Amino acid sequence: MSRRAIALWLIESLIGFAIFFGGALLLAFWIGRSDWAVLPGWLSDHAWLLPLVVGVVMAPLVIIEPLWRYAVHRWELSGDVVYARSGWLSREWVFVPVSRIQTVDKAQGWFERALRLATVEIRTASHAGSSTIKGLDYDVAAGFAEELARRAQELRDDAT
Amino acid sequence: MTEPGSAQPDPRQPDPAQSDPRQLGPAQSDSWRPGPAQQGPGQSGTAQPGPGQPGAWPSGPGGLPVRPGATPYGEAGAARRLSPRVLLIDPIRMLPTLLLPLAGVLVAGGFSPASFGWAALGVGGSVVYAVVRWATFTYRVSGDRLELTRALISRSVRTIPLERVRGIDITTPPLHRLLRLAVLKLDTGAGGGEQEGELDALTVEEAESLRAVLLARRSVTPRPRPEGSAAAEGTAVDAPAQDGVARDGIALDGASKDGTPRDGAISARGAAAGRTSGHHDERIIGRVPRSWLRYGPLSGAYLLTPFALIAGAVGLVFQVGGELRVDARKARAVFTWVEGHPALLVAGVVLLILAMPVVGGIMYAVFNWDFTLRTRDGYLVAERGLVTRRAVSLERRRIRGYELVDGLIERRFKVVRLWAVVTGLGDSETRGQLLPVTPRTYAVDVASDAIGPFATPLRPHPSQARRRRLFRAVTPWLVVAAAMFLLGWEVAASAALVLALLGIPLGLDRYRSLGHAYDGTRLSVRNGSLRRGQAVVERRAIVGWTLRQTVFQRMSGVLTVVAGVGAGTGGYPAVDTGEAQGVEFAAEVTPDWIGPFLASPNR
Repeated sequence: MSRRAIALWLIESLIGFAIFFGGALLLAFWIGRSDWAVLPGWLSDHAWLLPLVVGVVMAPLVIIEPLWRYAVHRWELSGDVVYARSGWLSREWVFVPVSRIQTVDKAQGWFERALRLATVEIRTASHAGSSTIKGLDYDVAAGFAEELARRAQELRDDAT
Repeated sequence: MTEPGSAQPDPRQPDPAQSDPRQLGPAQSDSWRPGPAQQGPGQSGTAQPGPGQPGAWPSGPGGLPVRPGATPYGEAGAARRLSPRVLLIDPIRMLPTLLLPLAGVLVAGGFSPASFGWAALGVGGSVVYAVVRWATFTYRVSGDRLELTRALISRSVRTIPLERVRGIDITTPPLHRLLRLAVLKLDTGAGGGEQEGELDALTVEEAESLRAVLLARRSVTPRPRPEGSAAAEGTAVDAPAQDGVARDGIALDGASKDGTPRDGAISARGAAAGRTSGHHDERIIGRVPRSWLRYGPLSGAYLLTPFALIAGAVGLVFQVGGELRVDARKARAVFTWVEGHPALLVAGVVLLILAMPVVGGIMYAVFNWDFTLRTRDGYLVAERGLVTRRAVSLERRRIRGYELVDGLIERRFKVVRLWAVVTGLGDSETRGQLLPVTPRTYAVDVASDAIGPFATPLRPHPSQARRRRLFRAVTPWLVVAAAMFLLGWEVAASAALVLALLGIPLGLDRYRSLGHAYDGTRLSVRNGSLRRGQAVVERRAIVGWTLRQTVFQRMSGVLTVVAGVGAGTGGYPAVDTGEAQGVEFAAEVTPDWIGPFLASPNR
């Protein structure tokens, strides 16, 4: 992975944090305003705690997640098998043999473009045999996608 | 490939209406055939009376051969129309949509001659529309494509490469059946109805012969043989070469040729097997006896039909209600009246619940009447239905495995349902079904015969998996119960507690279901409890592996291994295998993929 991927994950986790925190604020506001009889009194009185808890719990994760991901995410192509590891709390290992690859996409979102990063999407006939490798340096991604496409064409095996 | 067509005499008398392949010499070749190795008198039965053979068949007015049963779809096959008999069906089918406007016209305009005139115009218009639509729709097999041409307003040609046809579905709804018509649907694996071809309607004979032509054409294309494929694959690739021959009446000692090295299972079922019929290379693999229809309600299928019927009736009342002046006020009046008679309400509910298995059983029987599974020319054909008869052809070469599914109650009675795992099959829930509810031993026999045996016992998953199953079945309900108790809703809390208690046997059963195995050709994974499914998939169908581990799984030292398969649901998971066990499983099935990474430091 490129080191700049950390920045990308940081941006993404910030956005996620903003959405969650905003949602919690809205919910707290709504609970505080409504006098819905079903809810016990102590809940609506302490609704302001909700965004606070969400903020306190999630704020460190905003920093931890990108670093952790950077430590976990790996990819390699060897022996005509693509191997990719991803995740942080949960992990995922994907093995895709080049001979079963149907398409190789190289994609760039806004942030990725700004950071000169790219995502390589490897598609097979099955979602469980497909892999998305995020946060590659653009040139690396281009070369990797190119090589994969070339190899896939050579090894194409139409078993599925 | 030998040339059985000219060498082997036909033990049965060929149908005189059939084209005799021996008339056609090997000199006649079809350009769409990819290689000379595939040529032989065998396939020429599908050929049009072309330039190489002038005047062999007399031609009808449309340039179409009049010989019944001949297959007039040649290299540049003439464009054909659907059966004109469909014109008798179309107006009837349009009737419901016309009914309301017609009623509206008649009511609004009073029963005056003018309004009758308008109504007649509407009916006449729809008939004319049906005729024009029929007249402007043509189809033809041209080379290796099927072309559907619609020229009603703008001209549109839909071209379906025969190579893409994955299955053919012939349905005969009741009206069609009366007129001896059938609807032929092409499954191209494109997903969604847009890309799929539908011919509504052909005569039954035409549908059958078109199916034979389409299937023969598309199966000629040879494919690179994938590595590690079993002997079954080899015979399946060879099988198409015999298709044309067999279809035209040269019998090729049926059963042994259609790629089944599994004769043990066939002889075990004696009478049903080995029966060939007609001019096809055909063998019945399984026929569900009528007495087994009683298992139907066990599957839970159609159990909700009474409710669906009631919902439909209520919907209809409200739809027509506008006309009959039924409005919300009256509906409310009905409700209050019902509330005033609780005994009636209870009786109704009891009746409804009693009706569930009965109506469900009847619906099940109607849909699965005389379920027959047969092989025909490298295809599996599943036929079923009492009112609407439906025949689905699945190409055997595309079948990658099967799935045995049984619910909680079904397991008590040792019955299962059987589905095929087919690459690129749309609507696989209905199309892929190979057997309805049948005894397990029978279904396993049929699956072994039709697709391939799998006898290796499943390996159990580690005890952490049991703990996790239990935890996941019980805890959510405990949490709900606690929350309900805190909120002071005792009834709801105790209900959640009961569910949590029920979660204990459920979790244990879920654990018992877990298992995986590999027998050298196929791998199998099983999971689920309320709906337990065991998938058996060929090794060569695997396109990749995904190993997943959540935080909690890591704490327990288990992970989930998903075999990516380009067929069926796409991925078949072995849930909560031991860490080493799961990786070993993947490495056992595909050692050359996983092996290098076991050594690598990146694991």
